[in-house]
Amino acid sequence: MTQQENLECLRKQALEDIGRAESLAELDVVETRYLGRKGEVTQLLRTIGSLPPEERRSFGQRVNQIKEELAAVIQNRRNELSVVEISTKLQKEALDVTLPGRFFQVGRPHVLVETLKRIKDIFIGLGYEIVESPEIELYKYNFAALNYPEEHPALDEQMSFYITDDCLLRTQTTAFQHRVMEKRKPPIRVCTMGKCYRVDAVDATHSHTFHQVDCFTVDHGITMADLKGTLHQFAVEMFGRDVQVRFRPDFFPFVEPGAEVAVTCTICDGKGCGVCKGTGWLELAGAGMIHPRVLETVGIDPEEYTGFAFGFGVDRIPMIKYSIDDLRLFLENDLRFLRQL
Amino acid sequence: MRVSVNWLREYVDFDCSPDELAQKLTMVGLEVEESRLITAEEFAALGGSGEQDDIVWDTKVTPNRGDLLSVLGTAREVGAVVGRAARVPSSEVVQSGPKASQLINIRIDAPDLCRRYAGVVIRGVSVGPSPGWLRDRIIAAGMRPINNVVDVTNYVMFELGQPLHAFDYRLLRGPQIIVRRARTGEALTTIDGEKRDLDSDMLVIADAERPVALAGIMGGADTEITDRTVDILIESANFDPVGIRRTSKRLGLTTESSYRFERGVDPGVTDLAAWRAAQLIKQIAGGDVAQGIVDVYPSPVSPVVLTVRPQRVNAVLGTSIEPEVMVQILCSLGIETVFEDDILRCKVPTFRSDLCREIDLIEEIGRLYGYDKLPQTLPCRSLQGKDSREGAFTERVRRILISCACQEVLTHSLVDSRYASLVGKENEVVRVRNPLSEDLDSLRTSLAVNLLQVIARNQARGMESVSVFEIGKVFRRVSGDICETRSIAGAMVGNLWRSNWSLPSDALAADFFWCKGLVESLMDGLCIGGVAFERTRNPLLHPTRAAKVLAGGQEIGFLGEVAPEAIEFFDIKGRPCVFELDFEALMRNAPDAVSYKPLPKYPAVHRHLAVVVKESATYKEVRDVVVKSGGGILEEVCLLDVYKGPQIPPECRSLTLELVFRSSDRTLTDEEVNAVVEHIRSSLSDSLGAAFR
Repeated sequence: MTQQENLECLRKQALEDIGRAESLAELDVVETRYLGRKGEVTQLLRTIGSLPPEERRSFGQRVNQIKEELAAVIQNRRNELSVVEISTKLQKEALDVTLPGRFFQVGRPHVLVETLKRIKDIFIGLGYEIVESPEIELYKYNFAALNYPEEHPALDEQMSFYITDDCLLRTQTTAFQHRVMEKRKPPIRVCTMGKCYRVDAVDATHSHTFHQVDCFTVDHGITMADLKGTLHQFAVEMFGRDVQVRFRPDFFPFVEPGAEVAVTCTICDGKGCGVCKGTGWLELAGAGMIHPRVLETVGIDPEEYTGFAFGFGVDRIPMIKYSIDDLRLFLENDLRFLRQL
Repeated sequence: MRVSVNWLREYVDFDCSPDELAQKLTMVGLEVEESRLITAEEFAALGGSGEQDDIVWDTKVTPNRGDLLSVLGTAREVGAVVGRAARVPSSEVVQSGPKASQLINIRIDAPDLCRRYAGVVIRGVSVGPSPGWLRDRIIAAGMRPINNVVDVTNYVMFELGQPLHAFDYRLLRGPQIIVRRARTGEALTTIDGEKRDLDSDMLVIADAERPVALAGIMGGADTEITDRTVDILIESANFDPVGIRRTSKRLGLTTESSYRFERGVDPGVTDLAAWRAAQLIKQIAGGDVAQGIVDVYPSPVSPVVLTVRPQRVNAVLGTSIEPEVMVQILCSLGIETVFEDDILRCKVPTFRSDLCREIDLIEEIGRLYGYDKLPQTLPCRSLQGKDSREGAFTERVRRILISCACQEVLTHSLVDSRYASLVGKENEVVRVRNPLSEDLDSLRTSLAVNLLQVIARNQARGMESVSVFEIGKVFRRVSGDICETRSIAGAMVGNLWRSNWSLPSDALAADFFWCKGLVESLMDGLCIGGVAFERTRNPLLHPTRAAKVLAGGQEIGFLGEVAPEAIEFFDIKGRPCVFELDFEALMRNAPDAVSYKPLPKYPAVHRHLAVVVKESATYKEVRDVVVKSGGGILEEVCLLDVYKGPQIPPECRSLTLELVFRSSDRTLTDEEVNAVVEHIRSSLSDSLGAAFR
């Protein structure tokens, strides 16, 4: 066999070996065998001196050609094998993706605190400044300054927990009115919120502790129409565009004229259901124009300034919104309840 | 008040259905809470005539409107709504025989508590059952028929709103009536059979010798009307609302009579009611009505005249109601009104004692005009709304703690005073004088204790792992003053992963370091620097697993594992941890704004250092030496591992630290860093006797 024939034979053999290599490692062996420093193709090149001078050129060219060809074929084969090997490796890493993840129990806001926050945001949007107010309150602020006569039946609805002779747990957030008016001059537009307390046994709809929001404004030219507009705006923001608001006369010693404010029952859309006792209306707030006597006691001239005030219980709002039938759930803090809202 | 619609029709005409009328009354402020049909059969079953059905309303009368506690008062309101005047019943009666003033002597010794006292005498009555129509009325009003005389007094009370009392005239000694304060030691057995001890603040009706009635509340048993009664004295009086309320509360005795006096009875109706009762008694029980009435009325009340400015009405209501409409509305309420010189002059009848000044009449105009017709506007001036400082800070804290997997809770401020002992504040507890029950006898001194109760309750319901927080008020008595401050607390127990098949079961236990980490995260989230933790003693906490939290060198709270006593008190499973921080102190330490620091330009060099020190040396001591000797290029110290074991000498531990070095103006060289590390090592050896691994 001539050198040329040897060369072609080697090429054929190398191509077969490359094709037979089934892994990257085998392919590396094949590559070393043919194209390595001591590889067979490389060795053939070294035999070039034994050829007649006129054949040397063409033989050399052919060897280089074959080297390049084999290198390219090996590279191709390597690419093919890599793909297979990676995919085999990944196959072996298979997970049962239906196993549960490391579920992190996220924290959630308490539904009542969140409701208070929502209410706060609405009133801030309506120009109210939120002010803080104490829960232990003076009798003076809770009743006397709000025009409650001593020993009046109006006090029957506000049975108080007493701390000392003149200190009690506030029965209404309205107690903040006088405190604010002592410190500020009109225009005043403020809001407060928080816990209130009344001597009341606990059941599904009553508690000794509940939450209220109170707002009032004093300025030139404040009217009852402004009160209506403000509460309507609040109701729309809180309950949605379709809500209707009803005002009817009611009595609170610190307002005159006084009103009870109701909104259409969101459970039955005003048709009448168990929650609204068939009336289609849910009582929302007590409201009215600030009684001139209340203004006079803090030295605000009721001829120059008028004002309105309103207050409402907060606990009912999420009860309505989430169809919660038991008030006690809010302060019982059963996680199975809290995590739903 | 229970109002019979049949009865109402005797005083006012209306064309609409009772339901429509009820709706209209509700919209002018006399809420008809319930309306129910009582059938003739039901009347018969209750001892009535059984002749006709009736509709009975429950009206909700606001405390200022005592005048609506009568059928006539309700009829007046109906009249104003439907535009027809109510009819006052006739009280004419034929009188004969001696003058009443010859038969009874009446004296008021306590004019501050009794404005008026009138009496009429009827002799020769036959006490017996009432006729059917009267029994029906009494039943409709919610009472039980007794006899014709007593039923008439009740009838007139419901009809006119004036409570009456009938005495057996022959049993009155004197015969005399003295309206006076009770004397110390006096007692009276009231018609309900109860013997009541009286005191000098209570008003009684006495005869010449003894109290015979508890004024305005209940009559005495000795002089009550019986089957044997022949001659009677009808009392119609006007008592002071405050006096009646005090006595009623003191004795725990509320009656239809006291309920009305507390809310104010018209002093103008006293004589009318007495005559009306005489008329009806004569009609159904016979007898002769003595001539005249004994009416002691030292300072008669006359109608008040108020002026109302129509422009003021519209300024308050935001309306443009014509003065003529105002006149019409006020007149329909029985308020005689004339419009002259741009002013309304209004004569307020004595039965509307709630109308004292212009604003009261503005409400009358507004409510009958209809609140639903008032326009809807917003205040003209626009003001900037804003949250309070505390409110805004609360939101920041809530956001961080919620993001740290804590569930927000809201607990009661009224708690068992034993809770205060658990935190060693039994001397600071604020007590409630009139608690609902023993376990609600005080205000909370700490939120953390409440959170332990939340854990206990949830565990009792099958939830072993709990992580909760609350922001709220706590109350303490400090040197006599009551302090109401805000507090932030968290409590946790169990394991923080809900599903942990892929982790060791204690991988994320809610332990001391989780709790501390929460506090550290909160401080970091609020950008509060200079936070330190020192071992402390706290009755609520484990004696050796408790730390106080310091910010800016000041103590602002505590954290740690809960002491066994508290765990046992609440019957908690596992080892809960709690923290509690003072809200105001935290807020003071939290900067409102922080400025931006440029990101580093040069790479950091990391080195590990395993420091072996005596166990008595705290991590903080080690760290302080490292930081001090590390100089300006030591950027950060991280603790990677704490190890105790065979390779470490006894009573020692190895702390593996990662030191991060960086310069803000150059790339650090190995030599530079090596020199500093060497300095750190020698400082640790010198000051703490540290060895290195």
